[in-house]
Amino acid sequence: MSHAIMMKRHEERAAVLARLGEACQSVRGDGRSGDHDDSRARAAVQPTEFAQLDALLPGGGWPVGAITELMPEVAGIGEISLVLPALAALGRAGRSVAWIAPPFLPYPPALLRHGIALEQLLWIQAPDARTALWATEQALRCPAIGAVLAWPEGVDDRRLRRLQLAAESGGSCGLLYRPQACAREHSPAALRLLLRAAATGLHIDIHKARGGRTHAVVVHPAAAA
Amino acid sequence: MLWLCILLPPLDRAALHNLALWALQWSSQVSPHWLADEDSARATALLWLEIGASRQLFGGASALRAHIATGLAALGYEAHLGIAPTPQGAALLARAGHDEPVASLSVLHARLQPLPLALLALTPAQHAALRSTGLETIGELLAFPAAALARRFGPDTSAYLQRLCGERPEPLRMLQPPPQFSSRCEFSGALTDTTALLFPLQRLLAGLQGYLRSLDRAVQRYTLRLEHRGHAATCVEIGMARPTRAAAQLLTLARERLAALTLTGPVQALSVQAQEFLQPLVLQLDCFAPGIQHSEQLQTVIDRLVARLGDAAVQTLRIAADHRPERAWSALAAQPKHAMTTPPVAAALPVAAVLPSLRPCWLLPQPRGIDRPGQLLAGPERIESGWWDGADIARDYYLARGTAGAHWWVYRDLRSGAWHLHGLWA
Repeated sequence: MSHAIMMKRHEERAAVLARLGEACQSVRGDGRSGDHDDSRARAAVQPTEFAQLDALLPGGGWPVGAITELMPEVAGIGEISLVLPALAALGRAGRSVAWIAPPFLPYPPALLRHGIALEQLLWIQAPDARTALWATEQALRCPAIGAVLAWPEGVDDRRLRRLQLAAESGGSCGLLYRPQACAREHSPAALRLLLRAAATGLHIDIHKARGGRTHAVVVHPAAAA
Repeated sequence: MLWLCILLPPLDRAALHNLALWALQWSSQVSPHWLADEDSARATALLWLEIGASRQLFGGASALRAHIATGLAALGYEAHLGIAPTPQGAALLARAGHDEPVASLSVLHARLQPLPLALLALTPAQHAALRSTGLETIGELLAFPAAALARRFGPDTSAYLQRLCGERPEPLRMLQPPPQFSSRCEFSGALTDTTALLFPLQRLLAGLQGYLRSLDRAVQRYTLRLEHRGHAATCVEIGMARPTRAAAQLLTLARERLAALTLTGPVQALSVQAQEFLQPLVLQLDCFAPGIQHSEQLQTVIDRLVARLGDAAVQTLRIAADHRPERAWSALAAQPKHAMTTPPVAAALPVAAVLPSLRPCWLLPQPRGIDRPGQLLAGPERIESGWWDGADIARDYYLARGTAGAHWWVYRDLRSGAWHLHGLWA
């Protein structure tokens, strides 16, 4: 397949997803317009903007004021693209997004293509896992930060609970990327997703959803090809 | 004139000086007094504040008294307060434990009547002379004419009673706010743990806060000086994203820095120094909440992160107009060095002009050599650039399928023919 065709497919998908996202908003009456009552009623989630996924998640999106665990089989299957539409929406709402010690550089040209407000992105590096965990907690507690992406290592149930409490107090989405082996361990996270590459797109296993059911779905993040 | 007297437990001169600086936030007229022989290191101390001019700012004398009492308690000082139209009257009411502010001389006179003579601030010899008369209350003593008192008990006692009742002015030396802030605390035993520094530091920073409030100024940086015996002091520079004068915020940042500090030896004394004073931004912007509230919260967390991780670890990202993928971005410290000289944010470049094609979400910090690129799905995109600065590249980039269905951004170096992994379509 030629490069041009591949890229065209990317863009078509992005357009389809955008339309789906709009459809989702119109069904829900769109709370981002600033209607206070409405936003309070739906305050507990940030739509993923993937209609198929939102339909399966309790409340219809990423849990706000809580921890979500994303457990990809390997890096590079669309695990970041999956959260980018929600991060872009948070940016439009004037909230910052903190990336705590990511394993690679969150590449600005790609993020910009996904509508991420770069000036609201905080890229935080930490010398070790313990400091990264501390920084994650600090960021989660800050009400101005809408989402915190982190790659915690060696965290146990107690540490995850601390992060969960921090997310509750700051009202942010804590998106923790962890290896799939962690799925066997107990976790206080509100949502736990197992991710793997599908023939086309990203296969998502809802391993745990507080107030919802386990389920599986395939979505097509724009850059997952 | 209305005077508030703060009667303090025994403390040293440096601590009294710091408290006097702290008290400047309540009144521009602060007079510290240290009641001891010169050779004693600690003594009962008191502070006089003229609050006649400032009490309305704080909701009246009783409210101001409550503010000050709360502040002192937060700093761990057990103090007694008195309010009267004369400094000696205020001090006497503080000793007597009279909470109620006394606003006029006639009420003060009435209030003094039943109080025992022992409350008068006189020398032991003067007290002995009074006791020998058989008098018991201040009222009985004040019933004597001034000339008779002077004859019977000496001119000093008489003059004191006149100052007490407002018939003679109190000679007071007012604290002049120094042009630079410096406050020091010496420890009786050396401290070996940085957490033990936090309590004395809290007191010193309260002094800084009071000083800054009195000048309506803020600081963006200050210095902690940890003095050791026998070797050079440790200086810790604390910088903030924007000027502040909130002691709590000043302390939070210092706490992070101290936690990360390895002491070079026991600490004998601690001092706080500040030289550059700026307009406080925070208070002026309060009215623009909640957007400003968000940015305040964000600055606070950025300050904390920078204090522990350093400037270079807390950054925002930008795109850069360069075709070389590794140079198509740049990072900028999230915390500006000086709020006053924040460079304007570079005008946003049109996305389409700078971003020729799709790019992966993850870029590897260094391209990683690989034996085989996997199954090539799309490409190539040829990137040849940089001939002008010596870091030129000539590569063909492809989208490739890697392990477990991962999508890789790989390139073949056109000169060496070697394959590299440069990004992940995460």
